[in-house]
Amino acid sequence: MKLLSIIIKSLKEQWRSFWILILTLSMGPFFIFVYYLIIETSKPHYDVAIINNDKGYILRSEPLNKGEEFILFFTGSVKDSVNMPFFIKKAHDKTDVLQSLKNKKTDALVIIPEDFSEHLVKQQDGDSTTPAEIQFYGDLTNVNYLLSALWANETMNSFIKVSTGSEDLIKISETGIGTSSNISDFDMIVPGLLILSVIMLMFTATIAFISEVENKTIIRLKLSRISTFEFITGITAVQIIVGIISILLTLLTAVILGFEFHGSAAVFILIAILTSISMIAFSLIIAALTKTANEVLIVGNFPLFLFMFFTGAAFPFRSEGLFSLFGYPVTLQGLMSPTHAISALNKIMIMQMKLGDIIPEIIALIILTVIYFLTGIILYRKRHMTLK
Amino acid sequence: MSVPTPETIIKITGLKKSFKDLAAVDNISFEVCKGEIFGLLGPNGAGKTTTINMICGLLPASDGKIDFQSRELKEIKSLIGYCPQENIYFPKLTCFEQLVFMGNLYDIPSDRCRERAMGLLEMLGLINKSKVCAKNLSGGMKRRLNIALALIHDPGILILDEPEAGLDPQSRVLVRNFIKSLSKEKTIILTSHNMDEVDRLADRVAIMDYGKIMLIDTPYNLKNSIGEGDVLEIEIIEESADKTAALISVLKHEYNIIQSGNLLIIKAIHLIDKIHGITSSIKEAGFTIKETKLRENTLEDVFIHLTGRMLRQ
Repeated sequence: MKLLSIIIKSLKEQWRSFWILILTLSMGPFFIFVYYLIIETSKPHYDVAIINNDKGYILRSEPLNKGEEFILFFTGSVKDSVNMPFFIKKAHDKTDVLQSLKNKKTDALVIIPEDFSEHLVKQQDGDSTTPAEIQFYGDLTNVNYLLSALWANETMNSFIKVSTGSEDLIKISETGIGTSSNISDFDMIVPGLLILSVIMLMFTATIAFISEVENKTIIRLKLSRISTFEFITGITAVQIIVGIISILLTLLTAVILGFEFHGSAAVFILIAILTSISMIAFSLIIAALTKTANEVLIVGNFPLFLFMFFTGAAFPFRSEGLFSLFGYPVTLQGLMSPTHAISALNKIMIMQMKLGDIIPEIIALIILTVIYFLTGIILYRKRHMTLK
Repeated sequence: MSVPTPETIIKITGLKKSFKDLAAVDNISFEVCKGEIFGLLGPNGAGKTTTINMICGLLPASDGKIDFQSRELKEIKSLIGYCPQENIYFPKLTCFEQLVFMGNLYDIPSDRCRERAMGLLEMLGLINKSKVCAKNLSGGMKRRLNIALALIHDPGILILDEPEAGLDPQSRVLVRNFIKSLSKEKTIILTSHNMDEVDRLADRVAIMDYGKIMLIDTPYNLKNSIGEGDVLEIEIIEESADKTAALISVLKHEYNIIQSGNLLIIKAIHLIDKIHGITSSIKEAGFTIKETKLRENTLEDVFIHLTGRMLRQ
């Protein structure tokens, strides 16, 4: 009854603390959106200009222009694969394109010679002695030029093979490791950001605990028959709901922006709940060290930065293991529970592993949560809830 | 037939509380009987709130004993209703919601809780504000809500720390009558620096100053035993401290006189017959009289008599 009363009260207060709730719930989706923008705008982009000087050739009364055919072939090969970030533009004035190269608006210029068609036809008939001279222009120190030129050269070779009917001497096959072949940079960052949305729970949870101290209503609670355990459990229950909503909103935003959800939804929810409890437990420690919401916003930033930048939440982070426990590497950042949650989500969502594969992460998460909770309850009770 | 001895609900013995070198409460002892309104009267900083906080368990005593008829802490929690000096409420809950919430925390069944909450809101003139968030109430309404919160679990002992503080005159009368109505069924301890409030409400009064209890008795006995019946207050325009001291030494031969700033407080029986003589002496000494007031002895006079200073000083 008392527990239910605390839950109902905490729910009402959480709902009526509208701005702090919005802040917590919007942080995850906001970070997803920001990372999506960063990744999208920083994607490689190669502009190749082609000047076709080819005059064409009349073969068996049929006019042909291999230069034009090459441009169509190049454009077609780019369109066939969404992963090729090449943009082909047909140009006419060499001076303009050279200026564009200097201004970095174009990465490479390919000039097709006047006798390109003639050479290819003669090559096909086997009577060509000198190769057609394709000219490449660009900044040789620029990686974009090197990649553009390499790709243009490769495409040209393919075109010539197709045009002249010559056969490949070798065949190269490429196999991606794991699921890396179809996972983008954005996909890789999503598990960390999902956990980041739960880390933000630290603020609503700590404020929920500390508001009773700040309003001095903790005096009323101390004088009543409610126990510290009931009080903390009630607030925890409400904050878990906030945590689940936060992580689901973040996942929804990621899916809308192109993330593909893999793995078991049940395991995902399990990790979300465990991480929420862990963050609430940590919030209890902060609440024990502070007295007002303002203090929470100042003091809470230190663990927030640690959790954001050293657990892999904001970006992938690796550190050397101090030692190994039952084959599971123990690291310094492993003292922070989100590290294990992110590792578990990566295994489930990126590597498509099963529940059995993340047992070490779940055990680590539970052990750290228990340690946080015990420390938090002892400190909070001693500091704020003991009757003398 | 003998008068039954009143049952002692709280027995305080040798209670002390020190903050570093400051003795906020210095070895006080008193008993509170069942059904009485016990007043702790004293100026700010006298140790009233510290005493109350120790009784409620919010502050550990440095020494001494507080005994609630040998009851356990769990029982005592349900027994005490506390209305602190500062308004303490849940700002984001409505008046009704927070009363029901607090009632539930004392294991009161929900139906009874709701019924009691409505009853208290009605009695304290807050029924129209039952659905209003506490943070949006006026100061006086918050004070009344604070009293309701102390009573929601129907405690046997009600501890009110400055219950009339911050109330407008109408609310003060309402609260005073409400407290008086509770006295039939509850034991009430109230603190105040308002002697009028204590005089009207308390059955017995302990006068506190500098952490010590100076006297405990009924207001009637205090007013009759301390002081001499009538009080004459003469406000003078003081010219020099030496001149005033000379005047007081002259008047002291005949009257019990205390100086408090520009106010000369003279106590005697049948003062009405002596006013002319006293004012003539003051004027002859070269003072100008600004105001003269004759009244009966009050608790404030008792306090001034005991401590040599006024309650609000």
